[in-house]
Amino acid sequence: MEDFLKSIMLGLASGGIYALVAVSYVIIYKATRIFAFSQAGMLVIGSYTLWQCLIVWSLPIWLSILISLAIGAVIALIIERTCMRPLIGQPILAPIVVTLGVMLLFRGIALLFWHGEVRGYGGSFLPLGAWEIGFLSLPKIQVYGFAICMIVIALLISFYKYTRTGLGMRVVHEDHLVAQNLGINVKRIFKYSWIFSCSVAVIGGMLLGNIQGVGLDLDANGLVAIAAVLFGGLESFGGAVIAGLAIGVIQIFAIQYLGALLPGEITMLVPFVFLLLILLIKPYGLFGLVRIERL
Amino acid sequence: MALNVDRPCGTFDRNYYQAMEIFRTPLRKFLMVAFIVVMYVFAFILDDYLLSILIVFCAFSVGMTGLQIITGYAGQISLGHAAFMGVGMYTVAIFQEHLGFNFWMALPLAGLIPMLIGMLFGIPAVRIKGLYLAFASLAAHFVIVYTINNWRSVTNGTDGMYLHRPAPLLGIDFLIDQYYYILVLTVTIVMIYFAKNLTRTKLGRAFVAVRDNDIAAEVMGINIAHTKVLAFGIGCFYAGIAGAIGGGYYEYVNVEWFTLTDSIWYLGFLVVGGLGSIFGAIAGAVVWKTLDELSTLMTPLAEALLGGMAFYASAAFSLVIYSLIVIVVLVLEPRGINHRWQIIKRSYRLHPFPY
Repeated sequence: MEDFLKSIMLGLASGGIYALVAVSYVIIYKATRIFAFSQAGMLVIGSYTLWQCLIVWSLPIWLSILISLAIGAVIALIIERTCMRPLIGQPILAPIVVTLGVMLLFRGIALLFWHGEVRGYGGSFLPLGAWEIGFLSLPKIQVYGFAICMIVIALLISFYKYTRTGLGMRVVHEDHLVAQNLGINVKRIFKYSWIFSCSVAVIGGMLLGNIQGVGLDLDANGLVAIAAVLFGGLESFGGAVIAGLAIGVIQIFAIQYLGALLPGEITMLVPFVFLLLILLIKPYGLFGLVRIERL
Repeated sequence: MALNVDRPCGTFDRNYYQAMEIFRTPLRKFLMVAFIVVMYVFAFILDDYLLSILIVFCAFSVGMTGLQIITGYAGQISLGHAAFMGVGMYTVAIFQEHLGFNFWMALPLAGLIPMLIGMLFGIPAVRIKGLYLAFASLAAHFVIVYTINNWRSVTNGTDGMYLHRPAPLLGIDFLIDQYYYILVLTVTIVMIYFAKNLTRTKLGRAFVAVRDNDIAAEVMGINIAHTKVLAFGIGCFYAGIAGAIGGGYYEYVNVEWFTLTDSIWYLGFLVVGGLGSIFGAIAGAVVWKTLDELSTLMTPLAEALLGGMAFYASAAFSLVIYSLIVIVVLVLEPRGINHRWQIIKRSYRLHPFPY
């Protein structure tokens, strides 16, 4: 029982970040119908820029976070303007391959500037230590990280729900042409979506770097989040959150209980086997939109 | 392959025989034969270094042709093509080491086993439209790499395996690189000929129909799921054969050769080469591997300039430069080099007139 609860806590903690990263995929998919694989690379860039500000330039933490978010937003603008906008209306394959290329470009840039070494934030920018609740010991780093993820997601969902731009984003999600005819600036919505998504990915990168150490391997988390996106349904924030948490818990359970049966490292195997099961059983995910098409 | 596209005005097929021809004009037939002869003659005039490049070109052209069938013809996306190439290499190694097969017996298996594995992973993905095959093949990549890494009794884990070239046949010793090159070239020509032929069969036209409009294809009586699974299977067959002939050259195989990055380059350079034509696939493979060779040649220069940083720098530069090439080519010419080539051909043909 004790182990069971501990696993759930651990799983939820890592699942919170998967949920955040999954949301960053969903934002772009909702607006542009493109699955932006580049967000996995964005995690790496986000974590390294924070490291650069915090350790190399020894800036205060609030300024470092602001600078990293700003860099994320600028990168988002550059990608959207130079890579994605010319490909609007082209066959779906071209933009997807471009996002894959951008993902590897980020990896290359991180390797070029930071040599791919695993770094740390010199302690942590979140409080260290742990809360003791009965037999459970909750590391503060993970609880705060989880809380930040949930707050960011809640803010995003309320943005989509209550603001005029958010309404515009939901309209664009329904149909690009209709949105254009209603006087919504679709290109601007695309731009906002990329900025939001990259900022969210940068936050995810910071939190991951804080927990796992800053390194090139953080993009593996971005790939795991793909399984979460698919499980939740490609267009749904709520689904992404639930699925992200579920993937985190499943991953920890599998390591806990199946680790003895399966040799080697199964952290990457579990989410993707789960992804195959989702494709078999419920291909559109929990809350995904089943589009009915006609000729 | 869409018929009648990119042909000059007034060129029609007058009978079924003409419509079904692979090479339409005598000039093309002549050029093709001449090209093949030249490729064979290279075996006797080039040194081992240049032959090694040509062998790599051949192997990756076969692999790229497979991806062309999946992506260019059937319109599905595979993010696990490098992994399936690895399955092909490991199939040869495993059957040689554990069951005592020789290369000739293992070669067809090196195609069939990736094909079966690919179809197994493809089945869940193809029932629905969209990029679900990309996700399924991503999953396949991780499952395959995990299996190879951890099924140590069969695959030797991360240590890699040795495989052997075929035994001498009719006095031809394949351990000498130039004869092995002839073998690779022959396999490549046969595979590419089959691929070219596939595009004018019922199945090939079904692939194109599914790519262009899958609902319309279904209305016309094409079983979409079967067609997509078969396209993915055939593509993986090609990947496996490519792996087998490539692995035979190195006589060694290691799981670290098949990364997700390689699969992405496969896809990226396929689109750079051009979708929907065999020529595009070969062009993509040649561009990719030429860049690889150039970056290998640059490494001593980088070491001289950068000293200890060279390792990071060369890895980083190849990532940055390749991805920039893929991005820039796609943004400027989303239909790839092949499309640009067709435009050049057309403007040459129509020369004094703009169109």
